[in-house]
Amino acid sequence: MGILSILRKDLLRYLRNPIRTALLFSIPLMMAVFFGAVFGGEDGGAVKIHVLVWDEDAGLITRFLSGAANNPEMSQHLDLELVGPEGVDMMEKGEASALLHFPKNFTNDYLDGRPVTLEILKNPAETFLPVVAEEGAGIIAEFLSETSMIFRPELIQLRRMISSDRLPTSVDVSLMAGEAIEKLHSLDQWLFPPLISFEEEKAPEEEVKAQSILAFFVPGLAMMGALFLAQNATRDILSDRESGRLKQLLTAPISSSEYIIAKNLSVVAISLVGFFIMIAFGAFAGVQWGPALPVAAIVLTASLVASGTMIFIMSLVRTRAQAETFSTVLIILWCLVGGAFFPLSAMPKFLLPISRFTPVYWAVDAFGKTMAAGQKISAILPNLGILLGLGILFFICGTVALRRRVLGGINR
Amino acid sequence: MIKISGLRKAFGDIQAVDGINFEVRDGEIFGLLGPNGAGKTTTISMISGVLRPDAGHIEVDGLEIWKNPREVKGILGVVPQEIALYEDLTPLDNLRFWGRLHQLRGRKLEEGISEALDRVGLAQRAKDRVSHFSGGMKRRLNLAMGLLHRPKFLLLDEPTVGIDPQARLAILEIIREVASAGTTVLYTTHYMEEAEELCARIAIMDTGKILSTGSVEELSRQAGEGEILRLEGEFDEQDLQEFISTRPGLKLLRAEKGKAVFSIDPEGPGLTDILPEILQSAIKISDLSIQRPSLQSVFIALTGRELRD
Repeated sequence: MGILSILRKDLLRYLRNPIRTALLFSIPLMMAVFFGAVFGGEDGGAVKIHVLVWDEDAGLITRFLSGAANNPEMSQHLDLELVGPEGVDMMEKGEASALLHFPKNFTNDYLDGRPVTLEILKNPAETFLPVVAEEGAGIIAEFLSETSMIFRPELIQLRRMISSDRLPTSVDVSLMAGEAIEKLHSLDQWLFPPLISFEEEKAPEEEVKAQSILAFFVPGLAMMGALFLAQNATRDILSDRESGRLKQLLTAPISSSEYIIAKNLSVVAISLVGFFIMIAFGAFAGVQWGPALPVAAIVLTASLVASGTMIFIMSLVRTRAQAETFSTVLIILWCLVGGAFFPLSAMPKFLLPISRFTPVYWAVDAFGKTMAAGQKISAILPNLGILLGLGILFFICGTVALRRRVLGGINR
Repeated sequence: MIKISGLRKAFGDIQAVDGINFEVRDGEIFGLLGPNGAGKTTTISMISGVLRPDAGHIEVDGLEIWKNPREVKGILGVVPQEIALYEDLTPLDNLRFWGRLHQLRGRKLEEGISEALDRVGLAQRAKDRVSHFSGGMKRRLNLAMGLLHRPKFLLLDEPTVGIDPQARLAILEIIREVASAGTTVLYTTHYMEEAEELCARIAIMDTGKILSTGSVEELSRQAGEGEILRLEGEFDEQDLQEFISTRPGLKLLRAEKGKAVFSIDPEGPGLTDILPEILQSAIKISDLSIQRPSLQSVFIALTGRELRD
């Protein structure tokens, strides 16, 4: 009964301090919202590449290529903006991922078979998006080169038509088109049937919904929130000891072991509540967590690790100041290395083996697996095993050391 | 009865409690008086089951605390020196929590809380946050927590430290009331006037040892502290020296023209014998006063004037 009384009192203290409690629980939420806004864009999900196009040529080919970006499928991912020379200044200000420059006479030189240059200027402040833009420009260049080689006579004809003072007759156009189609047919034996076929299968929309960008951050931030909540809750043990409350508590008919168990339960309860708030927030913001049972299992084991770790730290230090410094540094390091702030897929290769030593990694990795469609609890059993093992280890070591320290800390 | 025998506790090289023996009789207020660092708090911690002694026995109502911790803790009320309250909670929350730890539930708990709050005069502030309370109010609430489960024995560890005289008087009055209702009280303090005013018997403790135990009168006798006699009149120091030279129980403490202060040995002839002799001597007195020995003089005589760190 003493254990329940202490647990009840600890939870009551959170209710009696609503502002402090709200602040505590809202820090990871605010970080998730911030990360989502920064990386997710206004539509909250799809990433668009902003590319500036400086078309000095304004010829048939360059206008055709620029117009292709208006294709509805393309425009989901590509945000093309036509600019003049001021595009270079815009790039210096970092306003776009890349600048594509079609120089003067691009169309005429291309049609005449002279070498042409497609220039691309990348934003050095960005990592991924300019590379995507460069790859896109490379594909265009390749396409134009191959087309030039295969359809050289037709392109020469086209060049004549464009430069002629009179409009081409329908006979000229149909002759050129017929030759081009004939050439295309002659390529059939080389192109069809393709050696490797590609099939696109779309899952029914109700089964797999688009994953929110927050799915990359919320699991790690939930783990971080649980660690910080556990840190705050365990601080109370030192506060009890320093204020003399612990000494008075032990004059009641409860043992020091009961006290430690009650405090451990309080810490787990608080970090569990924090975790579930983040899960609910993520679900509300469009994160597809996956099946409930595996997610609940991850939350439970991750909360155990968070609480056990903090209790273990409290058992090692002498003062609250030491506890706060040491545990905050550890939480930030674990979250940085363990993938709480960046997707694990974006982590440098040398960090990945190190990240496996942090419980944050195993929790984030487990959430990543449950989010993947069709995953069952068996897929995350190794993660659960590691989290549970670490949790139990930290709990036992922390409880034994803390009990000794609590009793040793009673003043004279 | 609380019976302490051969109690010892050391912290490293420091012998905090060094083989003490004393008894607190049922229904009495027993004072443990000593300077800072004397070992009073360590003694209370051991009696209340927070600290395990290195040696010795503690019996509370015939039960050994370390053999029957729950039973003994159930009949002990402890008011620590530190204000051990949750300041972000209300007095009601604090008392409910404390009552539940003492296995009080339902009506019994609510009645206990109401009675404790009434007794310490905080019933009107039961739903305010403790953090808004003055030091004196917090001390009273601390006391209410010790009284909540109506303990048979109340251990108070310097419960009036750092509060104003009004709050101090209120707390002493509450303790008197509790004791008169039959609760046995063990009261530690370094305030001599408190011990003198409140306690039937006092143990003077220093450097982990009990130096003397008894009522103020008994302590005075044990410390060799006699009554003080002050004279005024027409006499000089030579008259005085002549008078005391034949009376070994009388000691001249201070003498100046027309004024003298004597101490009377408690083991020698008493005032009733000495006064007639003075009146018949060459010492012409116009005024005289007699001062009984104070606990302070006994305390200083026993513990010395050395500063404690």
